[in-house]
Amino acid sequence: MSIAQNLSNAMVLASTYILIAIGLTMVYGVLKVLHVAHAGVYASGAFVGLGAFNFVRPFCTPTLEDARLASNLAFWISLPIAMIVSGVMGALIYLLIYRYTWGKSPTISLVASVGLFTLIQDLLQKPFLLGPRQQPYPAGGAGMPRIETPWFMITPTQVLILFVTLILLAIVYVILNRTRIGLGWQAASLDPEMAAAVGVNVTHVIVLNFFLGSMLAGAAGVLVGVYDNMVFSTMGDVPSYKAFVVVVLGGLGSVPGTIVASIVLAVTETFMVAFAGSLMPRDAIAFLVLILLLMFRPRGLLGRA
Amino acid sequence: MKKFAMLAWLVALAVLVVSCAPAPTPVPPTKAPEPTKAPEPTKAPEATKPPSAGPIKIGFFSPLTGPTAADGQSAFNSAKLAVKLINDAGGINGAPLQLINYDDAGKPDQAASVARKLIESDKVVAAISGAYSGPTRAAAPVFQQAGMVMLSAYAIHPEITKVGDKIFRIGTLADVQGKVGAELVAKNLKAKKVAILTIDNDYGVSLTAGFKAHALKVGLEIIFEQKYSFGEKDFRPIIEKIKAANPDVVYATGYYAEASTLVSQAKDAGLKAQIVGQEGYDSPQFIKLAGANSEGVIITTDLNRDSKEAMTQKFLTEYKKAYNEDADMVGASAFDAVQVLAYAMKTGGTTTDGIIKALKGLKDFKDCATGPFLRYTADRELVRPVSSQIVKGGAFHLYQEFTDPAVTTP
Amino acid sequence: MDYFVSLAVFAGIWVVLALSLNILMGFAGQVSLGQAAFFAIGAYTSALCALKFDQPFFVGFFAAILVTGFVGAFLGLPSLRVRHDFLVLATMGVNFVVVAIFKYVDFFGGALGLIDIPTPRFFGVNNDIPYLILVWLYVGAAILISWYISKTWTGLALNAVRINEEAAAAVGISVPRFKIYAFIVSAALAGGAGSLYAHYLKSLFPDNFNFIESIVILSMVVVGGVGTLRGPIIGAIILRALPELLREVHDYRFTLYGGLIVLMMLFQPMGLLGDDSTLMRGLRRLFVRKEKVDYEHAA
Repeated sequence: MSIAQNLSNAMVLASTYILIAIGLTMVYGVLKVLHVAHAGVYASGAFVGLGAFNFVRPFCTPTLEDARLASNLAFWISLPIAMIVSGVMGALIYLLIYRYTWGKSPTISLVASVGLFTLIQDLLQKPFLLGPRQQPYPAGGAGMPRIETPWFMITPTQVLILFVTLILLAIVYVILNRTRIGLGWQAASLDPEMAAAVGVNVTHVIVLNFFLGSMLAGAAGVLVGVYDNMVFSTMGDVPSYKAFVVVVLGGLGSVPGTIVASIVLAVTETFMVAFAGSLMPRDAIAFLVLILLLMFRPRGLLGRA
Repeated sequence: MKKFAMLAWLVALAVLVVSCAPAPTPVPPTKAPEPTKAPEPTKAPEATKPPSAGPIKIGFFSPLTGPTAADGQSAFNSAKLAVKLINDAGGINGAPLQLINYDDAGKPDQAASVARKLIESDKVVAAISGAYSGPTRAAAPVFQQAGMVMLSAYAIHPEITKVGDKIFRIGTLADVQGKVGAELVAKNLKAKKVAILTIDNDYGVSLTAGFKAHALKVGLEIIFEQKYSFGEKDFRPIIEKIKAANPDVVYATGYYAEASTLVSQAKDAGLKAQIVGQEGYDSPQFIKLAGANSEGVIITTDLNRDSKEAMTQKFLTEYKKAYNEDADMVGASAFDAVQVLAYAMKTGGTTTDGIIKALKGLKDFKDCATGPFLRYTADRELVRPVSSQIVKGGAFHLYQEFTDPAVTTP
Repeated sequence: MDYFVSLAVFAGIWVVLALSLNILMGFAGQVSLGQAAFFAIGAYTSALCALKFDQPFFVGFFAAILVTGFVGAFLGLPSLRVRHDFLVLATMGVNFVVVAIFKYVDFFGGALGLIDIPTPRFFGVNNDIPYLILVWLYVGAAILISWYISKTWTGLALNAVRINEEAAAAVGISVPRFKIYAFIVSAALAGGAGSLYAHYLKSLFPDNFNFIESIVILSMVVVGGVGTLRGPIIGAIILRALPELLREVHDYRFTLYGGLIVLMMLFQPMGLLGDDSTLMRGLRRLFVRKEKVDYEHAA
């Protein structure tokens, strides 16, 4: 019972890691920038989602008698809004900041990103946005069923996260592998100058890249907000470094690597907490795994040599 | 081109400064007009009272930015409320109180600097810490050395008051609260097997130590123990283990954010054991975030919302009126710190010796939200009954009051 | 007075931290997000010397420098295997692990921290001024060490390692040796700063050394100007002073703080006083023009 349950919980955790980290991987793939402010986009996504949810729900209530249905509908409206706003935010971050710092030393982009992250978090903490307190995001399972087997149980919210992640991953897969933009991204991530030389509009590719990655981060923010029933200004703190662990484990810039690494990390964390919980905090465990792995595979799990 | 960049840089800077400086104006009423620093005291009493009585300045520091900003805000709001009530009632023997607050951002080094700023630039006569243990412990020696009284509102670290004879505490010591927790689990819940969850900071570790020490005496069996980090969002693996261990009660230390996550995930996973918490849970936020999952959770705390004491009810209603949200334990403790300090200055004068003498002589003090305060021990810890509350119908209600001196004396 | 003394003490400590990271990052090109780990190890070593072994301040201070130097050599080992952003992440991991050890091992005080660390008093003066002087003497030492390194063959070798490891190795520079060397010096300097911090603050908690502090140190170096001597000093002073000065703008101080860093990176990516920054070029132009005028007069 317990092991299967832990595994299923770990898969949900992995899904949230995947959504946050893929955007980061995509950014890294082309720009080679450690985009810390991605976690700010994630928190902003949760904030926008919550705002949209709270705004839309009263309008849904009179038309739909059932409060549950109204809240579900409000959630499904709030999710795409949050994703689009986050996407635009990500694209703007590129256009206003990274476009200028790109090509210089990567630490410059890193520090700019840190500054931006501080700014976003501090603004979110203001009373006219989120305020200093945690806000509930009571969307529940948004109409998803509860899955119960003799070995494990998946709550509706967990089903929701798995479902949304799978759909978004499928979309990302199609975009990256079946469209011109995706091919452009692949080309640009191998060699931006070469890609530009053969006619890829690298700026378009990068803007779209930021848009897509930030959309996923926004979705992750909303889903985690619902999962924990909690949205708050500093919710990006942990993802700001956790997502990096995932991206590095996955080999910096490899999308399949990121997915594998998310699962590896989530499963490791879950079982380490379950079996060696009082030895060290879970984040330290995650980093120990990372350091050890880097000693043996200096370019990550699936990194290209 | 470069000139243009430089110009843009300057313009952006100017815009930032200009747009941010008059910040308080657009802030909605939940935020009081003076967010960080109160440059002027409430003027009304000054005008009516003899001019010789200038405002009495008390220093205050709390985290208004960073991850613990919510608690800092509560503490600051409540302290402001206390000052306003005191000034409306005529101040300290005619002189109005003035609260001077600085943000410590939750960092000890900032608290250490701010403490010196309060002493030197602002010339406060005494100070109150509305901060967590780390900053409070860093500021305490500064006040002690300057010969100034500091009251720690809710920081729970046992070593804070040991800094010296000028450092007093309002909140209940972790030891006592842990002891009361064990008493409650054994006597009231009649439990035998306990699982302990500890948040890995000074707050959790000292509570767990207090709980475990008393648990042995009252015959509790501790069958499971684990630590977790501040801000933990995933208790699921731990809950699976607790389920397997099958305890009667889970004694889980933590703050409301972790606690609401814990009780919700425990309910999801079908954990039947009773969850017992402490004052860290004591915030309307806990019930707001955990919703129906918070029902039946029992906590030990200082704030008894069902108290018949006039000041408790006055604090709760006035706070709601002033800030449009329900008060929490952190706020109540900061409120009481101001009340106790005001009392000490009324009876003993505004000198350090006078304040200390008055505090030592404090007896059955009822002018406070979390009272009554019986007396201060020689170690400058407050002796007081400890309340326990249960969440029922979406609100905290009295479960049991602990007055047995064997348990509640630090 | 005491307030400014405290600000100056902390500023001095962070100047050393920025200088120490600068040796690693500006000279040897090894970007680290784990400088707070060395800071922590120094602070804890010194505090433990005083609390558990009853040693006087200077014993703890030098023990802190020695121990962190040694640990620095050990923690620098990953840099031999991993590079660039992988190294950034590995050092960040080191920061997390070190803080976790201090937090979970009771010998180090655990979550309850280390309490009652004595502040040394010198020459019978009963205030913090001698301590402040000590801190700034240490800053001076750190500046001298940085300057010395940059002016010797070691500095050249580190520079070569920074610019191109393969090329450096090809001309016979032992890359591992110089990388470890940079780690040792950098860690030891940060360790001394930790000792000064611990004895001034009187209490230590593991959370004082979160990796956020490492990020702050990195920002100081970059905002000031990587690789120069003046840069990290000015950067540290500005970023330390900024939140204090910005107290006047109420709660917006961190919004402004973040915004200023972004703007700096956008328009002065070389740092405020970096080699090619506007300010430096302006200063140089002023200076050079003056020289010219003098020259013409002389002629």
